[in-house]
Amino acid sequence: MHELGIVMNIAGTVLDVMKEQNLTTVQKIVLQVGELSSVIPSYLHECYPAAVDGTELADTVLEIEVIPGNARCKECGEVYNLLKQKRICPSCGVDNWDLVSGKEFNLKEIAAC
Amino acid sequence: MDEFKVIEIKKSIFEGNDRKAEELREDLKKRGVFLMNLMSSPGSGKTTTVMRTIEALKDDFRIGVMEADIDSDVDAKTVSTSGAKVIQLHTGGMCHLDATMTEQGLTSLGTEDLDFVVLENIGNLICTADFDTGSAMNTMILSVPEGDDKPLKYPNMFAMVDVLIINKMDAAEFFDFDLEAVKERVFKLNPDIKVFPVSAKTGEGISEWTMYLKNEVKNWKEI
Repeated sequence: MHELGIVMNIAGTVLDVMKEQNLTTVQKIVLQVGELSSVIPSYLHECYPAAVDGTELADTVLEIEVIPGNARCKECGEVYNLLKQKRICPSCGVDNWDLVSGKEFNLKEIAAC
Repeated sequence: MDEFKVIEIKKSIFEGNDRKAEELREDLKKRGVFLMNLMSSPGSGKTTTVMRTIEALKDDFRIGVMEADIDSDVDAKTVSTSGAKVIQLHTGGMCHLDATMTEQGLTSLGTEDLDFVVLENIGNLICTADFDTGSAMNTMILSVPEGDDKPLKYPNMFAMVDVLIINKMDAAEFFDFDLEAVKERVFKLNPDIKVFPVSAKTGEGISEWTMYLKNEVKNWKEI
């Protein structure tokens, strides 16, 4: 379980942005989490209230977009989902690929004023 | 009340830690302190390997050890008998150390009189690989009973480390452990990795490892 420490980092970054851009209220925080990153969205949701309790972010909504773990086959160029296909290319049956997406862990945007 | 507007940020959340780690690494370089981040599964013989390493290098360097553990000081007690300066970092429920926690640990350890610090990370091969601690070298221990297929199960860890120590080689024959197969799998993930098969129990292979390490520490301090 490492999500709490991570969420504290996110809250810190958002508070910095608020200061930089003179924002007073944040309504929503949107994260992007890759399927292959070591972060679990449901755990983020669970520990978020504890991380922001007592801060200016206490009433914000946390929204998470999951980014699929996709790869491009080095043999035939097919793009496919690594988890669903168990890493094997569905078109030519080879396990030889470059990662296209899925390791992301980004603070995408916030809704604020 | 003003209307909410959407503000694009597009910032990697790991970025904050990466930046912090880079600062810490530069600072340690300036002060001539070599930090090694040591990772492994629980029970791989990390503490015994650390003891052997200290024994081999204690005349060359002033050594410190930070023992990260969920909640005990068993390992710290053992290591303190080696003569190295030791502190215990209790991480509560956390399963990895990041650059900020490492820096706090170094501050409480006190590095003014040290050349070489070992960070014994938490026994875990998953997320410890994702967080740069600011170390000069990342080392992992794989022990023979864990099996020669471990690089297939935890590719991220094997891909990011500089050094792989394969421990408990004295037990290889009891576990059907194929050293060549491990090397092949690891080099596919990480062509630059250095591999040292050792037995921390018998001492086999330890001098190759510590000679390599000694050079790395010296280079770090000189260049």
